[in-house]
Amino acid sequence: MDFRLSEDQLLLAEGVRDYLAGTHGPAVLRRLDAGPNRDPAIWQGLVAMGLPGLCVPEAQGGLGMGLVEAALIALECGRACLAEPLVDTAFVAVPWLLARGETAGLGEVAAGTRKIALPHAANPWVADGDGTALASVDPLRNLATAPAGASDDPHLFNLGALMCAAQLVGLGEAMLGQATEYAKIRQQFGQPVGAFQAIKHQLASVAVAVEFARPVVWRAAAALQAGEASAALHVSHAKLAATDAAILAAETAIQVHGAMGYTYEVDLHFWMKRAWALAGAWGSRAFHLARIDAGVIGGSHPIGPEHTFA
Amino acid sequence: MQLAYTPAQQAFRAEIRAWLAAHVPAEPLVTLECREGYDSHVAWERTLATGNWGMVTWPEQFGGRGLDLIEWLIFEEEYFAAGAPLRANQNGIFLLGPTIMEFGTDEQKARFLPPMARGEVIWAQAWSEPGAGSDMAAISSKAQLEGDHYVLSGQKTWSSRAAFADWGFGIFRTEEGSKRHKGLTFILFDLNTPGITRRPIRQLHGETGFAELFFDEVRVPVANRLAGEGEGWNVAMATAGFERGLMLRSPGRFQATARRLVELYRQHKATASPAAREAVVQAWGAAQAYAYNTYAVAAKIMAGGKIGAEASLNKIFWSELDRTMHRTAMQLLGAAAELKQFGDGSINAWLEGYIFSLSGPIYAGSNEVQRNIIAERLLGLPRVGAG
Repeated sequence: MDFRLSEDQLLLAEGVRDYLAGTHGPAVLRRLDAGPNRDPAIWQGLVAMGLPGLCVPEAQGGLGMGLVEAALIALECGRACLAEPLVDTAFVAVPWLLARGETAGLGEVAAGTRKIALPHAANPWVADGDGTALASVDPLRNLATAPAGASDDPHLFNLGALMCAAQLVGLGEAMLGQATEYAKIRQQFGQPVGAFQAIKHQLASVAVAVEFARPVVWRAAAALQAGEASAALHVSHAKLAATDAAILAAETAIQVHGAMGYTYEVDLHFWMKRAWALAGAWGSRAFHLARIDAGVIGGSHPIGPEHTFA
Repeated sequence: MQLAYTPAQQAFRAEIRAWLAAHVPAEPLVTLECREGYDSHVAWERTLATGNWGMVTWPEQFGGRGLDLIEWLIFEEEYFAAGAPLRANQNGIFLLGPTIMEFGTDEQKARFLPPMARGEVIWAQAWSEPGAGSDMAAISSKAQLEGDHYVLSGQKTWSSRAAFADWGFGIFRTEEGSKRHKGLTFILFDLNTPGITRRPIRQLHGETGFAELFFDEVRVPVANRLAGEGEGWNVAMATAGFERGLMLRSPGRFQATARRLVELYRQHKATASPAAREAVVQAWGAAQAYAYNTYAVAAKIMAGGKIGAEASLNKIFWSELDRTMHRTAMQLLGAAAELKQFGDGSINAWLEGYIFSLSGPIYAGSNEVQRNIIAERLLGLPRVGAG
């Protein structure tokens, strides 16, 4: 029993974090917002990192990794507010196609020449899809109308929800960081506002929420990877915990920024809007709550101290 | 990440489960915050010791089993799953014990740890003073060196277990005129030493678990000093870290409460609000999240890592979770919530638990202090007002 991420997994995530911090900062988000919001150069950078092929089998030019690694990278994509459709292509569609044995064309994904946007009955849109454009509150999110008769496959749904949860934790961490940095430099009443306990305590509460959402995401990723019978419940737990933490982070971050937080000029809004978007994507809060409820109150899932890893 | 227990871990779980099934009292003990309850809880500590279960992670020479933290978590899970009594010994085994292991001399380890593991000596903590609660550095109780003794004078208060316990620990000002964190020394004392007066304090629930301690020229041998003179603050901070961090409140406690809450919900489903239903589901989720986090921290510590200011995240999380769970139970009980005993004569443990849960965000460093620690040490926000 070892509920820890391995050194290799942490190094992988750190490498992606550093890369995105260096190449996908707020200035890039502002540029994408002002012009075309997809940039082949950014995508090529992700390809050079091997990320579209993260879950593609090595025989097809990928890295052959699993859902825990994918969730780790999805968290970093959230932290960087990545605009390119990496998560949907590489961490939702690829694992789903692999699970169905549909391996044709995955080499092209690893090579970066194929992106996959999968509709699902749970979503009234397809992110980066081909249908008629729909406007999202998130200026970096390209939505299209969903085709009729979209799949309602539960595994696809769970992959989508899990990767949303991972991104939401990353978004929450990023917003906590932005609000904290702002509180250190913004001076009022002759001191940084971050010296006031009213600010400190709100940010500390966000830190608590994020800290205890993160391991729930790892638990869900491991459960889905291993095909555990309880995987759906764990995915819903992850989506619920991550959504609540991210929304708390967003609302606290704008409050700490004060009136500046309500402006378009402060970068916070990119992260906040992504969190709003992902909070409802791949199953509403009510849906995920009901799935946990069915197992926990309904009695089909073993609960109690001796069932920590049920 | 390896989410399976080894055959040895499974065998250990089976062993403790069988032992507890054979030994846990059939009827819950009365609260340990009264004479009768305290005595029965101490008797339970000694029963635990007969099975060598006092503190499984300690080295065998000190009365433990030399087990690792994952095995400790398994022990705790089974302990709370079995509904075993709360630990009268907690100040000793979870707080002072680890502190003595880190700072004590070999003589002190040999002298204090085995009786602690066997439940023969029950410890009270003596942190707070009337003028030093959240602001513990404002301590004014003194210890004056006279030959090979310290002479203690002053007052401690809200000392857990002190109404009935055998020994106590706390920090005292040894340097005349010293201020704040400086000049403090960590001292262990027999609560029956001449000059110590205990005045039990009636708590919110009406019982007298904690006490005020008055020190009037109390002579304590220098051998009872833990670490060096003037190093008391650092030692106390380590003890407080153990208190807030991994050990004092293991996840099993909250997972067990969450399960009881689910059962309570099922009984009161017809009259429960949708909000209560969500709170019940969230209680299970939060207790699980706390367990996952604890497993990760345990593995990290086993690999040589440390837990620092992160302990404050834990303390806020479990204390607020505990209060929320018990508040939800009180809502589910409706008019029966106020009854100290139900019609069938059984104790309203939810009421007792709710009252106790209100102390959680206060003891072991108030949650306001914990939020300051998180903001300043984990987030790096500026410190203001603290000396």
